[in-house]
Amino acid sequence: MAGIIPDVSLIDNSDERAPLVLVLDCSGSMEGPPINSVNEALRHLEEDLKADPITAKRCRVKVIAFGGDDEVEPTEWQDAMDFVVEELEASGRTPTGAAVRAALEAIEAQKEEMRAAGVSYKRPIMMLMSDGEPTDDWKDAAAECRAAEAEHKVTVFAIAVGEDANKEKLGQFSSKGAMHLDGLKFKELFIWLSRSVRAVSKAVKGEAAQLPPTDSWATAETN
Amino acid sequence: MPWQTFAASAIGKYHIDNNIPCQDDFAFRVVGDVLIGVVCDGAGSSAHSEIGAKECSRSVLDSIEMNLGEGESTRLETVCGRDNLEGAVDVARNRLQSMADEKGFAFKDLSCTLVGCIASSRGGCFFHIGDGFCIAEFDGQTPIVSLPENGEYANETYFVTATDWAARLRITPLPEARYGRVALMSDGAAPFVVSRERTGFFGPFIDPVASYLSGVTQEDGNKALGDTLADERTYAITGDDKTLLIALLK
Repeated sequence: MAGIIPDVSLIDNSDERAPLVLVLDCSGSMEGPPINSVNEALRHLEEDLKADPITAKRCRVKVIAFGGDDEVEPTEWQDAMDFVVEELEASGRTPTGAAVRAALEAIEAQKEEMRAAGVSYKRPIMMLMSDGEPTDDWKDAAAECRAAEAEHKVTVFAIAVGEDANKEKLGQFSSKGAMHLDGLKFKELFIWLSRSVRAVSKAVKGEAAQLPPTDSWATAETN
Repeated sequence: MPWQTFAASAIGKYHIDNNIPCQDDFAFRVVGDVLIGVVCDGAGSSAHSEIGAKECSRSVLDSIEMNLGEGESTRLETVCGRDNLEGAVDVARNRLQSMADEKGFAFKDLSCTLVGCIASSRGGCFFHIGDGFCIAEFDGQTPIVSLPENGEYANETYFVTATDWAARLRITPLPEARYGRVALMSDGAAPFVVSRERTGFFGPFIDPVASYLSGVTQEDGNKALGDTLADERTYAITGDDKTLLIALLK
């Protein structure tokens, strides 16, 4: 005799989440091809997160767009399987500090909610992307962000886009510094991000998630 | 024999895709009227944790068997006492340390969790370090569970090889029982074996499994349990190895 025991239901009763926050620069300088590439890349991200059944169930996504008149616009948290990308528009200034602070607060609030609900979770990922330099009071926010990273509250990736990005300032949001996007390879970046979330969703015990290499989208220069 | 016991491990999809061996292992034995069961889940970060899981599960089983002596005459409260259980884990740690020395591994290379039971109709206990899950459902009463213990993040847990292992060893007493079922599992199996509320079994899984197993030989039951744990439907639930020990008390 062999084979599966008949009539057995195999469904997932566990609740585990892998939070992902995208903090995206939508300032005026992103107008045109850059923001179009970001929007296209977001659709790829949506598709790729949904393509993997475990990630689709576990990943929770929040998009925080910043720009306009120092405006920070967060979406609600969405399960990846229900994630619907909203078209971003570019205009105005670059309130990076306020956006990152909003992301850190959202992450801790989400953890609190998950803990209260008995839901276990993986370490959240925050991706901060900017093509310029902060126009708000960003230094304290950068220090808070680095501290949160050092306390293992969040994994931070700071991504500089284009020639005018202030990589030095952006790099202060993470102990790893900032990485530079090769041209407008947003699609490659977001697919990499999705694969990173997959790795985190499935990270085995005692092991930090093994993230895929960044050479598909990052320039080779070192920090 | 009052116990009908079955156990199997199935390698996880993540392990298959990444060429990592199955790092779960288990051991069980019925001594007189007492079932001793142990499941160990090797740390993904440890180079030889499948060996650690194998050695640890066997060592803990052997120590408890020795403490039990002749079985029926032994006081289970003594065997389930913290001193005895810490002693059993300590012996296993020493064995892992000697093995590490012998093979040139680091002690941490053999890291694993520990989920175990000493169960009989006269009572018993669960003992537990780290994640994984234990459930005992006796005489139609509310199930008794031993929950996983994790760090802040779901992939952080506690291991037998940690320096604070004794503080992490949790013991849950089991009552006298006439009939029922006991399960030990690694954290890969818990999402489909345990109910959403984590207070007992998930009926649509355990009921058909228990009903099937009660009518087959141990060999056939182990095989069918292994095939069920390896079913591709589990790939959408977990990438981790899945181990389940089920014992039916009649």
